[in-house]
Amino acid sequence: MDFTIIRSNLAYLLWGTWPDGPIGGAALTLILSVGSALVSGVLGLGLGVALAMSSQRLRIVLTAVLGFFRAIPVLMLIFWTYFLLPLAFGIDVPGVLSVMFSLSLIGGAYLSHSVYAGIRGIAKGQWEAGLSVGLTRGAVLRHVVLPQALRMMLPSFINQWVSLIKDTSLAYIVGVGELSFLAAQVNSRTMVYPAEVFLFVGMIYFTICCGLDLLARQTLRRHEGRAR
Amino acid sequence: MNPQSIFGDLLQTQYQIWLLKGFLVTLEVTVLVIPAASFLGFLTAIARNSRWRALAWGTASLVSLLRNSPLLVQLFFWYFGASAVLPDGVRDWLNDTHVAVLFGVPIEWPSYEFVCGVFGLVLYSAAYVSEEIRAGMRGVPKSQRYAAQALGLRPVQVFRYVILPQAFRISLPTLMGQYMNIVKNSSLTMAIGVMEISYASRQVESVTFKTFQAFGMATLFYIMIIAVIEVLAQFLQRHFPVAGARR
Repeated sequence: MDFTIIRSNLAYLLWGTWPDGPIGGAALTLILSVGSALVSGVLGLGLGVALAMSSQRLRIVLTAVLGFFRAIPVLMLIFWTYFLLPLAFGIDVPGVLSVMFSLSLIGGAYLSHSVYAGIRGIAKGQWEAGLSVGLTRGAVLRHVVLPQALRMMLPSFINQWVSLIKDTSLAYIVGVGELSFLAAQVNSRTMVYPAEVFLFVGMIYFTICCGLDLLARQTLRRHEGRAR
Repeated sequence: MNPQSIFGDLLQTQYQIWLLKGFLVTLEVTVLVIPAASFLGFLTAIARNSRWRALAWGTASLVSLLRNSPLLVQLFFWYFGASAVLPDGVRDWLNDTHVAVLFGVPIEWPSYEFVCGVFGLVLYSAAYVSEEIRAGMRGVPKSQRYAAQALGLRPVQVFRYVILPQAFRISLPTLMGQYMNIVKNSSLTMAIGVMEISYASRQVESVTFKTFQAFGMATLFYIMIIAVIEVLAQFLQRHFPVAGARR
């Protein structure tokens, strides 16, 4: 194993040609991850609450739509948004945005199910107690049910965000210069040490994913400590 | 905007055949990967419960590595990296065409891309499958093991006749979810040149410019496969209910 190729391309892999050119590499991977994690979290929360509070008929329609997003590969959705959004609206959508859009939609679709399950997992008595002290349904949800449900949901949020980080690598397919794309570029430019390049890049992803996981566990433990 | 420009007319037969061929490749990958990943995942789950610390720890870190890095990077690693490490003889053999004859039907050895894609997907999926199986084993109440031991069963028998059947039933729903993921993840093999359905749809799109039809058909094919697995999952869960479900 010869890692000199990594040393000579390290800056390029980490942040692309920035500050002289557009930001790329691992930095862009982080931006993509944080952006779509935030949007998917908001989407998942909103849709999950909608699933829990809506009428039977609306819930069936919503479930079917969300089911669609969970049935197709992320790659397919990226194709749809990347090639069809510009066609449909007649505007130029940058690749980064269309990838973020697809990742947020898929992440939101998955998260909404965990949010829905989390809300349903809260005992009926909590609702009844809240309503009987005169709170509205919205207030019970906001102040009684969600705080408890969110704590239960945190692990599935983390799992979803870890797969989001990994899925940002799919931006490669539409030529967005994030970490995987630049790695493939470095590899095809040199063609000498492919194993080293992809091992190194894999380790960067591994570090980011495990870091998130550790952080979440610590937060959870601190929260539980305070609750006691 | 005129909807005709998005929807347009149907694809010509020639392009429909491209998509159909891609669909068959996706099916092939799925049919190969599911049993292989299940078997490997099962072995991994057992290895992680092993009494030998080194084996348990080693498999645990491998599983963690596979689960916490993108499949795309792993496929690149196997596709570009492995061929640099493999001995020349093996690499040439893999790149050559071979024909085996099975029951009088000639079967061609698949392309190097296909072999790499299947290999990478099997390893990645096995890591996930092993976690589901382990969760299933943990879900079997301890009392079941004690009861079986008290009846005089040997450890292997306890595992084979008491733990395994119940663990299988517990992990069935999430296992089927993993099989759906295998179908969806097979789309990534297009990045190393496996001509499956996503690859084909991209190709048809770039030749015909009929974006909606090309991606629409591919999407329908995926939904079809997922729906079939879903039906199968419902059927299996009805036939293998979790025994002694809490009353």
